[in-house]
Amino acid sequence: MSTTNQLISIKGGRRPGILLALLASVIFASSIAIFAGPDTNAPPAQVSDAKADAAKQAKKVKKKKLTGAELYQLNCNRCHAERYPTEFTPAQWKTIMIHMRVRANLPAAQAREILKYLQEDSGN
Amino acid sequence: MKIPSQIFGTLAAACMMAGVLPQRASAQVSTNDFDALKKIVEQMGDRLQKLEQTHAQDQKTHEQDQQVILQLQKQLGETQTAVTNAQQTANTVAQVQSTYPVPGASQGPMHNVTLAGDAEVQFGKTAGQHSAFELADFAPIFLYRASDDVLFEAGFDIMLNNNTDVNGNRAPGSSTSVNLSFATLDYLLNDYMTLEAGEMLLPLGTYNERNAGWLNKIPDDPLVCDDLIPGSGVGVQLRGAIPVGESGQMVTYSAYAVNGPSSGASNSIADAGALDLAGNVGDTPNWHANPSGGGRIGWFYPWKPHYDFELGLSGQTGAWSDSGNRSWSAGVVDAALHLGPNIEVKGQYIDTWVETDDIGKIDPKGWYLQAAYKLAGLGLEMPYINNFELVGRYDRENDDGLFGGGAGVTKTDRYTTGIVYYFSSTLLFEADYEWWVSHGPSPQPFNGPGAPTSFVLQLSYGF
Ligand code: HEC
Repeated sequence: MSTTNQLISIKGGRRPGILLALLASVIFASSIAIFAGPDTNAPPAQVSDAKADAAKQAKKVKKKKLTGAELYQLNCNRCHAERYPTEFTPAQWKTIMIHMRVRANLPAAQAREILKYLQEDSGN
Repeated sequence: MKIPSQIFGTLAAACMMAGVLPQRASAQVSTNDFDALKKIVEQMGDRLQKLEQTHAQDQKTHEQDQQVILQLQKQLGETQTAVTNAQQTANTVAQVQSTYPVPGASQGPMHNVTLAGDAEVQFGKTAGQHSAFELADFAPIFLYRASDDVLFEAGFDIMLNNNTDVNGNRAPGSSTSVNLSFATLDYLLNDYMTLEAGEMLLPLGTYNERNAGWLNKIPDDPLVCDDLIPGSGVGVQLRGAIPVGESGQMVTYSAYAVNGPSSGASNSIADAGALDLAGNVGDTPNWHANPSGGGRIGWFYPWKPHYDFELGLSGQTGAWSDSGNRSWSAGVVDAALHLGPNIEVKGQYIDTWVETDDIGKIDPKGWYLQAAYKLAGLGLEMPYINNFELVGRYDRENDDGLFGGGAGVTKTDRYTTGIVYYFSSTLLFEADYEWWVSHGPSPQPFNGPGAPTSFVLQLSYGF
């Protein structure tokens, strides 16, 4: 788009207010992160023994290898809205997952697990 | 054989008798004896005859055997010829197919062509200009999988444009433009490395690689991503990811060589205005000798589903004109944060260093930050409300004289607010309002009257 007319320049220059607002929103966002941090699924610990047990369990859960479905949840909606397994056929998913593995730099082993999950629930 | 020696034996015995016996017979042998002897000789003659008959029969059998052998030999010869022929045919076929089995060639159907992409329709109004509908983009992506580890991908941008004359004024009619946004061959070398070659989206930050219409929450690009760095380049790239632990954390990398920016002038003059960031695709004079090199290293840290942080450092450097050995370099920091399925904050800081003939070494730079919030996070039980997302973005750019040449520096701030409505996960309606504050010889969005604000509606669909 182009016009040949002249610009009415807007005076005012910098707006430190906006920067402050942005800073505030970043601080707000990080505070949510801190509050949302603890795993809400962790069982409430009343006795110290139970607490230790829960911690042990949490450690175990953390060490467990992530399934294809879990990896899908972690990776497949951070760059774009989730695409559902039923949207494509197994053969198309195989192709798309190479595309995503390259475009999104996904580790191969994870990409394979996710592909398995997508193909199991795929459309036809 | 036993038969001839028996015959000889018998004959020899007979001759001896015939020679010896008559002398004796004439002297002492009686008639009885002679008769007896005669009988013996006759019997021997019979035997000899029988033996001869047996021999004849044997010979016949032998001849028959010989014939059978000949026949067998003939048949064997025929079989051998057949085998040789078969072998030759097999060899020819093998030569036609391949002389050596290709590694990785597996059984079963491997080829697949998948069509993906997106399309956008826009309605735009910038203050001081007339509003208009516009088919902003139809961007098909062809994905061709040749085997388990080879993919060819090509993305096009097909757009409808009003015709203009050489001065940029409206001319009757419209035309279609087709741009190749990327076309690469991807070869998965191993689990940790992929080779990419062709026209590639460059990993200078993340925006340029991840900006398909249905991915964007705001229709237009951040200023710095559009103005200060190339979006793509022709060359080769190695990239991959290394998982860290078992929680989904990873380190990602890419390293590439591309033609790099060049002078867009018809000679190698390296004036600021001649810098051509992405036009250097190899079929026009290339005003510098060596390709540019670049890369990105990223860290992705998820701590639970929908909660993650990504940080990236990237850069590119190289000569853009051999005239005076002028170089162009960029350094980029990108970051993205997700706090649950409803909150996303991301941004990018870009600094570039350009050596020019006319205004020396300049430092165009800027950044953007975008935050989005899905109203589903409010947990309201109202119809439609959960399909809305609120978006805000701040852009800042300082061209340090890049666009105005010697005329001075242009600084631009832009504030964008908008909403996204999701009809589905890939059918989005976006409405955005932008305020511009731009000073200098090349103000944005245009050099014209009216308050520089603009209003954009966009329907975008990913398929
Ligand atoms: C790092 C960002 C990123 C991540 C992570 C990502 N994608 Fe994508 N995805 C993209 C981009 C960018 C496109 C648009 C296509 C393009 O520009 O080439 C896309 C397109 C798609 C498409 C449309 C078809 C196509 O291939 O273009 C599907 C389906 C898809 N992604 C599925 C997934 C799945 C499943 C995952 C999880 C493994 C995933 N994506 C993870 C960036 C990403």
